[in-house]
Amino acid sequence: MDTNEPTPPRLIGRRTMLKGSALAGFGAFLAACSGGATKTATPSSVVSSQPPASTAASPSVEPSASAVGEQVPTGPLKFANWDAYIDVEDDGVTSPTLVEFEAEYDVKVEYANAQIEDNESFMATIRPQLETGVETGWDLIVLTDWMAAKVVEAAWVEEIDPANVATAVANVRDELRGLPWDPDMKYHFPWQSGATGLGYNSKSTKRELTKIADLFDPAFKGKVTLLTEARDTFPLVHLALQAQGKASANKAGAMDAADAQVVHDFLKPLVDGDHIRAFTGNEYLKDFGSGDTWAALVWSGDLASSAGDNDVFAYPEEGSMIWTDNMLIPKGAKNKYTAELMIDWVYDVDRAARLANWVYYLSPVKGVSEAITKLDPEAGANPLLFPPAEVVAKQHPQPNWDEATEKTVNELFADLTGV
Amino acid sequence: MAPGLLWLGLFFILPNIQMVVMSLSSGTLRQGFELTWEFGNYTDAIGRFPDNFRNSVVYGGLATFLCVLVGYPLAYGIAFRGGRYKTFLLFLVVAPFFTSFLIRVISWRIILGDQGIFLAVVRDTIGVVPANFSVIGTPLAVVSGLTYQFLPFMVLPLYVSLEKIDGRLIEAARDLYAGPSGRRGTIGGALAGGLVGAALMLGLGYASLDADGIGGLVGATVAGALGGAVVATIFISESFLRIVLPLSLPGVFAGSILVFIPAIGDFVNAEILGSPKTQMVGNVIQNRFLQQNDYPTAASLSFVLMAAILVAIFVYARLLGTDELTGGRAA
Repeated sequence: MDTNEPTPPRLIGRRTMLKGSALAGFGAFLAACSGGATKTATPSSVVSSQPPASTAASPSVEPSASAVGEQVPTGPLKFANWDAYIDVEDDGVTSPTLVEFEAEYDVKVEYANAQIEDNESFMATIRPQLETGVETGWDLIVLTDWMAAKVVEAAWVEEIDPANVATAVANVRDELRGLPWDPDMKYHFPWQSGATGLGYNSKSTKRELTKIADLFDPAFKGKVTLLTEARDTFPLVHLALQAQGKASANKAGAMDAADAQVVHDFLKPLVDGDHIRAFTGNEYLKDFGSGDTWAALVWSGDLASSAGDNDVFAYPEEGSMIWTDNMLIPKGAKNKYTAELMIDWVYDVDRAARLANWVYYLSPVKGVSEAITKLDPEAGANPLLFPPAEVVAKQHPQPNWDEATEKTVNELFADLTGV
Repeated sequence: MAPGLLWLGLFFILPNIQMVVMSLSSGTLRQGFELTWEFGNYTDAIGRFPDNFRNSVVYGGLATFLCVLVGYPLAYGIAFRGGRYKTFLLFLVVAPFFTSFLIRVISWRIILGDQGIFLAVVRDTIGVVPANFSVIGTPLAVVSGLTYQFLPFMVLPLYVSLEKIDGRLIEAARDLYAGPSGRRGTIGGALAGGLVGAALMLGLGYASLDADGIGGLVGATVAGALGGAVVATIFISESFLRIVLPLSLPGVFAGSILVFIPAIGDFVNAEILGSPKTQMVGNVIQNRFLQQNDYPTAASLSFVLMAAILVAIFVYARLLGTDELTGGRAA
């Protein structure tokens, strides 16, 4: 941690611009840009910023490949991720985190942005390969807890060599360790955590939205979307109904099939009456952009990092969902070692701070909060990066349904989505 | 013959047998599926998704019909008036296919969106629809998308059949006093136009047969009839009705099949342009296969859809004659 150099100054500009505090942001942007020229002139400092690279994890990049037993990064690393989930520069494609990785290890990264729109449909594209033991074409994928747990249970993942991810092992936040489905972190490392709550375009709605129940305001008819992730949509609506005394007292994370039925019966007329236009994954970003959606259930960081000035995220009064997306190496991955290097790469505190401060999600890396505040003093007040205590108190984990309950819920959800 | 049969065996029969087995199986993804002759899957498939089947047939049918309506004048214009630009014009018809299917659907989502160019014209400039009128998420959006996506499949076979019509036949008809379509043409045009108007309004859900919707239905029928009468009177001649139209029917037939089959099974347009109420059978199959991992229901739905398409084509072939499908007489 001898240097903070790798932080491209530009990201401050980008973030602040998006936040809509336009004037101040623009100033910062200009200032940052002018400083940029001198800093980027010393790229060597970027390379030397390799994490406590002391470990055996990072062999020399020199082509001493002939040495038996020594691992050499191979590529291209095929990395599938969700939309708006990595730091990018103003061109919208170049990611400092990835570019620096490529330079450090002399290996290409093929980063498939928005390859994953929801857990189920992405899994469907690789499940047949995993079942038959064929390589999936991906080296690194990112799945939410409940799906990651299933994939680990099915033994569809490669075991991560702890020697290659020493930084990650050292830096992962304590509360993310020891999960029942992978207690020793042999198969996964968290990518980011986030919340599911309320998103709206304040210009279209012409008012502030504070509750999930606000989504069902008749004034927003046809302009509302909910999420294709049943584990977000059902519990959040359950919370809304609970607040109105229309649902059981079961916690959102422990709702059962009967609770799901109640939610279904509440939502069905709203779908039939065209109040709810669609159920979406990350596509809601496009719909906010086009003005087709005014209010929706959304994942916390997306609107702030990738949408317009008036698109706002709010933690609903009734409560919100909290989840973690995890990096996994699918069974048979061609570039397992490079994937491990990537996992380790993003666990460097400064890099993690830069990443989190762009995507606006919660980093799984210890010490990132301090690093972010150092990087961007304004960020300290950002509830996306630093959820206030009263928000945290009302956050619920996603339900962990058994197979029978899941089947019932899926049927109810299919009925809502018209299939 | 032999290589052809081998090809069919490998790529058609074998996968289908696999799917038949799956459609009669039971079990879950985790425990594996087992052939248990579960014929209930079929009754389930037919009984549980009536809305989706209805949507598929109605949207697929309307899209095919609109493709004829749009594609026929287009193919006619290229074939008879294209002159030395024929090849270029045909290239333009196919040009959109150089971009990906998904990109084309998504661009329609923007065009038809609430802030898109289509509503900017009809809602804001002309003002024929109310301020809260939306296209995205309605059957109109899905049918528009399907029509656009499959239009070239209609235009190309139509062009081929129109292009080979011998111009001397039309001259001969004129020599034999074939003139404008006259009063019969006007009446026929009015009838056809009225039917088109009514079918569109009903199919797109803008009108119904009950008290609320009947007004729109009558209005659309009248408007369609007026339009049809005008078009028929001005553009349709006796030589067209007696020479060109009959000789181009093989093209209409082939084009309709090429459009109807993919349109009825499509799920992308309904997924991207539609709402939960406009989902088609393809969406259910997709959901069962990919989201719920309920392979047996998905497989049996696929077969029910296939059977429905075969029946529809059979009926259609009887109406227009099977010779023309194989090109026997027309050639």
